[in-house]
Amino acid sequence: MSVDKFGQDEWVSQVGTRRRDETRLQLFIRRLRELPRLVQIGLLIALPLALPLLTANDYVLRVAGLICLYSVLALGLNIVVGFVGLLDLGYVAFFGMGGYGYALLSSAQFNIHVPTLISVPLMGLLAAGMGILLGLPSLRLSGDYLAIVTLGFGQVFVQLTTAMNRVQFPGSDQVINLTGGPNGIPDLDRLHVFGLSASSVTAYYYVLLASLVIVLIFVYRLNQSRLGRAWRAIREDSLAAEAMGIPTNRLRLLGFAIGAGIAGIMGAIFAAWQQSVFPGNFDVTLLITLYAMVVLGGVGSLYGMVLGAFVITALPEVLRPGTQIAGMELAQIAFYGGTLALLTILIRPRWRLVPILAALAVGGVIIHAVFAGLAPDALLVPDEKLSLISNLVQHWLPIPLNVPLATNLGNLAFFAVVILLVLLTQVPKNARIFPLIVTLYLLAFVWETRLSKEPSTTNLLLTGAMLVILMNYRPQGLFGQRRVEIA
Amino acid sequence: MPPLLQIDHVSKHFGGLQVVRDLSFSVEPGQIVSLIGPNGAGKTTVLNLITGLYRPDDGRILFEDRELVKLTPHQITERGIARTFQSLRLFLNMSVIENVMAAAYSHTQAQLWQIVLRTPFYRAEEARIRQLAEEKLAFFGERLQGYRFDQPAYSLSYANRRRLEIARAMATNPKLLLLDEPAAGMNPNETLELTDLIGELRTRGNYTILIIEHDMQVIEGVSDKVIALDYGEKIAEGSYQDVVSNERVIEAYLGRKHGNSKSARPPSTNSSTD
Repeated sequence: MSVDKFGQDEWVSQVGTRRRDETRLQLFIRRLRELPRLVQIGLLIALPLALPLLTANDYVLRVAGLICLYSVLALGLNIVVGFVGLLDLGYVAFFGMGGYGYALLSSAQFNIHVPTLISVPLMGLLAAGMGILLGLPSLRLSGDYLAIVTLGFGQVFVQLTTAMNRVQFPGSDQVINLTGGPNGIPDLDRLHVFGLSASSVTAYYYVLLASLVIVLIFVYRLNQSRLGRAWRAIREDSLAAEAMGIPTNRLRLLGFAIGAGIAGIMGAIFAAWQQSVFPGNFDVTLLITLYAMVVLGGVGSLYGMVLGAFVITALPEVLRPGTQIAGMELAQIAFYGGTLALLTILIRPRWRLVPILAALAVGGVIIHAVFAGLAPDALLVPDEKLSLISNLVQHWLPIPLNVPLATNLGNLAFFAVVILLVLLTQVPKNARIFPLIVTLYLLAFVWETRLSKEPSTTNLLLTGAMLVILMNYRPQGLFGQRRVEIA
Repeated sequence: MPPLLQIDHVSKHFGGLQVVRDLSFSVEPGQIVSLIGPNGAGKTTVLNLITGLYRPDDGRILFEDRELVKLTPHQITERGIARTFQSLRLFLNMSVIENVMAAAYSHTQAQLWQIVLRTPFYRAEEARIRQLAEEKLAFFGERLQGYRFDQPAYSLSYANRRRLEIARAMATNPKLLLLDEPAAGMNPNETLELTDLIGELRTRGNYTILIIEHDMQVIEGVSDKVIALDYGEKIAEGSYQDVVSNERVIEAYLGRKHGNSKSARPPSTNSSTD
């Protein structure tokens, strides 16, 4: 029998191809992974650690702190969603419990002031306990059903915090204001340890960064251990996991408890940072934001969580009007730069970019000249005081001086852009150039008249667009491992 | 010596369907016992009853003279019974070695704090599981070695997945291995090799084995004792030759023959998979 029983199989023989096929980003990531461990950690931690030295801007530090906070929350959520594989939509409630718990123990509400070293870990334990309670239905329910139950749990928490400003216990006439209702609980104590009190933005930034590093190491080690393997086994096939000696029920609850505990501790730190808590801090918006981070970064991937948190948190800050770099609006740079970068990536062969950009520039100037000739008083006049980009744009785009008119035209153009984008995907490749030029020109018009004026809507639109693109090109998320459901 | 596993008057029904009817048999330590029977005879149900996935309506299941009924599946695995699945149930998105290491859960002790602090105990245990997994995979020759360790399980061929399932079951350190149609979907060469492997599991691995199989070559090659089921009832028990020439077994496979039943052939040696 000369059958090559132990010969190379398909997977092995394709190694070369797979290596060659990897994109530059993948190559970059592989190179990074091949570096010694200490160098990796050093690279990762150096910039965040030095950030307060590089900038004295509290705003930047606050955003960086927020990124750390969201990263930790995403990492906690990832335990239940990514490792154990259960859809938990009640996660934010644990964050809220930590926050409100800390608020009650460290404010004038009941005049209790518990030391930080006790209250923060206590919130972790409390949330972990509640996590076990919420985890109990997961032993019986899965998939959509569990999602509904946990979503309800999250909603109940928000409702309770809103309503519990007038609580009357049975057998008592006294009405107690427990949570402050919609007004929340103000004037919380700052974190204070061994006589040191965290009062500056920098101090809280370091606290949040430290929690990120600790939780990252914690979750990484869990994932490598027998617990991580057992969790992933449950995600893959809980019946087989049970049959292989893994106590699936206990481990599901443990996953819920650890995730919730992390959220509880972060809730306490968040409350101390904000020095107040409101029901609105813990509603569905945050849940959706967290899930967007988890999905964007790649379910199950730890670095992905941090990256997802970074992108989703930084995006609205980039879009915020008034942030300027060298006299130019950051949002404007990001928009035109981003569009240009996207075109460079998507258009092949690259030389095609030249006629497209040329046609766009010349066409724009001609259109502007025509409108300026027809109605010279109705257009925005280029102003020397404006930034370079704005100046160029106003020589290129005919933007009406009349604001309501500009708004209405912008809305119409927005619809046109959406329709054109859909059409673009349907048109054969070689016929795309002209509609593409029109789309880009209209898009610039929409940006100048609408998108740049309403950053929060733009933020949602961009997040949505990002997720749609991701779903098509990289369903496993930026750092996620592709998963096979049936093979 | 008491039997390792004793099934004692066990019955199980689903709704109006009696799947297992008053079944009794035993497996002695070191034996290889085969369960045969036509499709729907209740063979897999017997396995599910032993491993605790189903609870019998009636009867007792004793393992080393201790009752198994009412234990959860993972407790039963802890006692020393491991199984493979007829329709493969690997942890597809985990690597080959992780599949095997995950099954070592029940005989590892590292607690949360030890894992997080990476104490020497945890490191030693981790090294031990890794070595155990490599050992178990080495049972299958070169097939699941070296570069394969870190491949995802879904990249394996069908036969290799079957082998990985057996390795995974071995990693729970069982005394009794339950194999549910290990040869299903394998080609004749692989089937032949599997027969050798099952023999080796007994001699080198010291496992007692209860095997469900349709492929009569495998059954003939390995069995100390064959038990035939039909409609959830035991219709024959004994050596391979006794059982395949048993009239009721032939009837169950081929249907009742009018007239002289002696000329009827034994059950087909071509595997009839479902």
